[in-house]
Amino acid sequence: MKKISFILSILALVGLLGTSCTKKADIKGKTLNMAVSSQVKGMDPIYANDRYSSNEVARIYEGLLEYHYLKRPYTLVPNLAEAMPIVSKDGLTYTFKIKKGIMFQNDAAFPEGNGRELVAEDFVFSIKRLADPKLQGLGWWLLDGKITGLNEWRKKYTELPTVDYEEEVEGLKALDRYTLQFKLAKPFPQFLYALAMPFTFAVAKEAVAKYGNEFLNHPVGTGPFAIKDGVFKQTKKITYVKNPTFREKKFPCEASAKFEKEGLLADCGKKLPLVDRVIVNIIEEDQPRWLNFQKGKVEYVSVPKDNFDTVIPDAKNLSPEYLSKGIDLMVSPSLDVTYTAFNHDLKLFKDNVKLRQAMSLAYDVNTSNKLFYNNQAIPAQSVVPPGIAGHIENYVSPYRGNGSPEQLVQAKKLLAEAGYPEGKGLPEITYDCPSSTVTRQIGEYFKKQMAKIGINVKVTQNPWPELQKKITTRNVMAYGIAWGADYPDAENFLQLLYGPNKAPGANGSGYNNPELNRLFKVAAVMQDSPERTALYEKMNRIAAEEVPWIYGVHRQSFVLKHSWLKNFVNSDFDAGIAQYLNIDKKMKIEMVKKL
Amino acid sequence: MSLTSYVLRRLFYVIPVILGVCFLIFIIFSVVSPDPTISMLGKHATKAQVLELREALGLNKPLYIQYFDIVKSAFTFDFGRSWSTKQEIFEMIKQGAIPSMTITFPAFFLSVLLSVSISLFVAFYRGTFLDKGVVFVCVALMSISSLVYILVGQWFFAFKLGLFEISGYEEGFPDVVPYVLLPIIIIIILSVGPDVRFYRTVMLDEIYQDYVRTARSKGLSERKIMFKHVLKNAMVSIITYVVLRIPFLILGSLLIESFFGIPGLGGMTLKAVNSSDFPVIKAMAVLSGIATILFNVITDVLYVVVDPRVKLN
Amino acid sequence: MATNEQESKSLWHHAWDSLMSDRTTVIAMSIVLIYSVVALLSSTGLIVSDWSKEVGPSYAPPSSEFLFGLDIFGRSVFAKTVKATEIAMSVGLVTGILTVLIGVTLGSIAGYYGGKVDEVLVWFYTTVSSIPGIMLLISIAFIVGKGLLAVYLSLGLTSWTGLFRLIRGEFIRHKDREYVQAATAIGGGDFRKIFKHILPNVFHIVIINFSLQFQFAIKSEVILSYLGLGVQGVPSWGTMINDAKLELARGNWWQLAAATAAMMVVVLAFNILGDSLRDALDPKLKGK
Repeated sequence: MKKISFILSILALVGLLGTSCTKKADIKGKTLNMAVSSQVKGMDPIYANDRYSSNEVARIYEGLLEYHYLKRPYTLVPNLAEAMPIVSKDGLTYTFKIKKGIMFQNDAAFPEGNGRELVAEDFVFSIKRLADPKLQGLGWWLLDGKITGLNEWRKKYTELPTVDYEEEVEGLKALDRYTLQFKLAKPFPQFLYALAMPFTFAVAKEAVAKYGNEFLNHPVGTGPFAIKDGVFKQTKKITYVKNPTFREKKFPCEASAKFEKEGLLADCGKKLPLVDRVIVNIIEEDQPRWLNFQKGKVEYVSVPKDNFDTVIPDAKNLSPEYLSKGIDLMVSPSLDVTYTAFNHDLKLFKDNVKLRQAMSLAYDVNTSNKLFYNNQAIPAQSVVPPGIAGHIENYVSPYRGNGSPEQLVQAKKLLAEAGYPEGKGLPEITYDCPSSTVTRQIGEYFKKQMAKIGINVKVTQNPWPELQKKITTRNVMAYGIAWGADYPDAENFLQLLYGPNKAPGANGSGYNNPELNRLFKVAAVMQDSPERTALYEKMNRIAAEEVPWIYGVHRQSFVLKHSWLKNFVNSDFDAGIAQYLNIDKKMKIEMVKKL
Repeated sequence: MSLTSYVLRRLFYVIPVILGVCFLIFIIFSVVSPDPTISMLGKHATKAQVLELREALGLNKPLYIQYFDIVKSAFTFDFGRSWSTKQEIFEMIKQGAIPSMTITFPAFFLSVLLSVSISLFVAFYRGTFLDKGVVFVCVALMSISSLVYILVGQWFFAFKLGLFEISGYEEGFPDVVPYVLLPIIIIIILSVGPDVRFYRTVMLDEIYQDYVRTARSKGLSERKIMFKHVLKNAMVSIITYVVLRIPFLILGSLLIESFFGIPGLGGMTLKAVNSSDFPVIKAMAVLSGIATILFNVITDVLYVVVDPRVKLN
Repeated sequence: MATNEQESKSLWHHAWDSLMSDRTTVIAMSIVLIYSVVALLSSTGLIVSDWSKEVGPSYAPPSSEFLFGLDIFGRSVFAKTVKATEIAMSVGLVTGILTVLIGVTLGSIAGYYGGKVDEVLVWFYTTVSSIPGIMLLISIAFIVGKGLLAVYLSLGLTSWTGLFRLIRGEFIRHKDREYVQAATAIGGGDFRKIFKHILPNVFHIVIINFSLQFQFAIKSEVILSYLGLGVQGVPSWGTMINDAKLELARGNWWQLAAATAAMMVVVLAFNILGDSLRDALDPKLKGK
């Protein structure tokens, strides 16, 4: 019996090994393979409040506006809308005309399975859904208090058992089949950005009615792709196929100068999408994601922090090994900022600007840039990142620590003036951060920096909800965190320091500066203009000099892509970019051999 | 007492255990753990929305009512939907169980075969250099962390040598094979060490029994003794050990699933625990409780079947 | 009674002799001893007190200058590995003691008293052991936060179940034995019987279990680090191995290798020790 079982085991293993060498059948058409690092929640736009989910939603659904793929600074252009809206003089009424002939994809939810034409009423329905109190849409914050009558509608139906979508909301009306009108309760200059965010994308009420609670697994949109077999499964691989009834949308023929120079207009005028299939692989761990890219299993990947030196040995050049394999590095600035926030509800930090300034001077951002971002990030002087109005070109904050000995002396002096010479009398400062290997290392680095002036720091890692809870219950002293832009407007950053936004709002530190608050209120209702930019810059300076936070860096995003992937442009708002990407099949076959 | 009434009585034990499991889970994840609404609402959580969401999730009800609801849903198997993904939990479990089991069951089956064979072999040659050598190798294998096997295995065998897929999962045989082969091998390596040691001990326990000496003095060949007597009597302990492991096979290995991109239950549970996704946590804990009891009973029944001397009690 | 004590003495004596006679066991014991001494020296700062000092460039590979290479902050991997011995040995020790305390106390009470007490304890044991491990592990962190305390408690509060079952089983077997009945006859109280009579006869299981728990705890610390429950501020083999998640794919293998090797040696030693202890102490194997 022993012999038999041994033989059986060996046969089984051989059999398994043998079948592992089966080659995949050749698939017709072009397939785009990508890897993302986080699970996707489902395909319902109103719940897509993280970047990963919203990117997936944007493959199938579309909105009134989108960001022009090839223009920087970020520019909004019409997508489902025929043109940019007509805005009333008081800035409160926005009227859109919807493009004609846009079809929802074919799905069993429609009579005989044929998708019908998109109409203005669909947006009314979709946005009401975002406001629907029974659904608890996670993107509601975007429109909360903004549209006339919508908050009242939501409040009314919070109490009642069922929600009436037929009831008219003053600020959200379809004037006729193709005309949509919004009325704002108060000026909201960032309103148009909201219409480019997946939360406000158009869904079909037939699909919602038919699939009910399972609607998040049966996306029915107007976009360039559809889910294979019509059903989204919660697996680690999502497959999309070209939407056969997608309207005639062409690859742009205009671009910012730098993109034009890079030859990105090669596919100008071609019908979108350019690939037939998109496969999204969800790979949470860095190692397998990176290894899969190196083997050519995915076309592009964002570079894990620690692989920099192998790939990018010096400043911006790829190591020769990767160049010979045709791998390209794309570096582009991110609209974000990393920082260490002080809890301003603590007397220790609230009234002691010198203490904060001292700590900021002691923090050597240049070494941290080298260690954690391979010197590619941009040391942050203040809260607004480069690339949007409000950022001050060439401004250097007087409290930007850069590791120089003079600054160390100044830091120690300020510390003494703050009442804690050489750190004496200062309690141990706790530093909370999210729990990942990288954030832990950043925390340890912070501790080392503070030790230089005699300040004791204790680093504690927390899972994300725990960190949020600590911030909300003010159970923190200092914490390390980052903020990425929701839309390309400095308001999105400055609101983090706006007093009334304190926890559980976006202003986690609880910073409250009456001057900054006043300026913010004024700027918040202004459209983009030189006057508003001046206000933004003024606030930015205050944010630098008052050191409500110790600023870290504005990160760059690094994407490595294979030579056969065409048209790739990195974007902070990359919802819906898959339709513009192209694959050179012949080149892929050739280059994969070299890998 | 009859087998049936014994089995029924043991199965009824599920009830107090589920009550206990629900209570423990409730204390840990509803009372003590961080607020789930915050991770759900993300960076834009406003006080108003947090309150609204808490209300919608039933978190503002008094504690004893919440506990009652939990118990009720546990017994009716009405697990509801995940708070973070809004998917139906029952579906999630169904979808996740298959990938998990695609790895754990073959690994389990093969490693049991392998381990039992090796330990028979080693018990046969007990005391010799071969015995000590094999035991040493097993123990050495056991002394390396599973994370190390995963990292090195993936990097070296899948990536450098290209023998297997780096990560991912395909449905259907044989497409799934290149994705699960390496995880299965790693699990086998991880199990062989402790298993062989355990089976070996059990078999040696039997070998030193009097009846074996008697059998030997009667002239039975060593081989026959191993198979006819030792193995058969060791079966009782082996079966207990093996069967009791089965519930854990369904859960899947957490680390393996994370690194190899397997969409299984292990990863699902970890995600739920990290985001305080209570309905999923509750579902997994309840199912785990039921599975434990179920397999305890199965083990006892198998005891009786294999060794009639054992009395139910 | 006199005979009983004499029996015990010669059992331990006998065990010690047989342990000492096996060369592998002696080596294993020496290794454990060496690691313990290193941990002690390191914790008092007599060695590697400057482990956190930056001694060279980030990620320098092993060379004649840097024995095991350097980590991301330019710190000596060798120094970190030695310093991490503290965490490993303390985790093993504290967890082992916790497991023994809880497992033996509950197990002996359950096995000895039987009846309702036993039922309640067995119910509690079944409940705890049927909940998936991760839930319990992470839940402890909710209460006590992260760090060493969380590691001690998570492991201690989840590993006692095996020992509980064993001890309870033994107590059930022993409590009706003659020597216990004899003790009752001469008026011995429960406490006395548990501690002075039964427990010594069952103690070999505790010792074997302790040594196995020790190594299990050291290995588990790696998983706890992965789950984000690891120690902060001081290096541990678990955090070093977890750092390899980011390092290995770019070819930096030395931190992983050092931590794995250091852990493997001591875990191996404990496993061998556990086996030898079982061979020496388990009365069932006396016939060898």
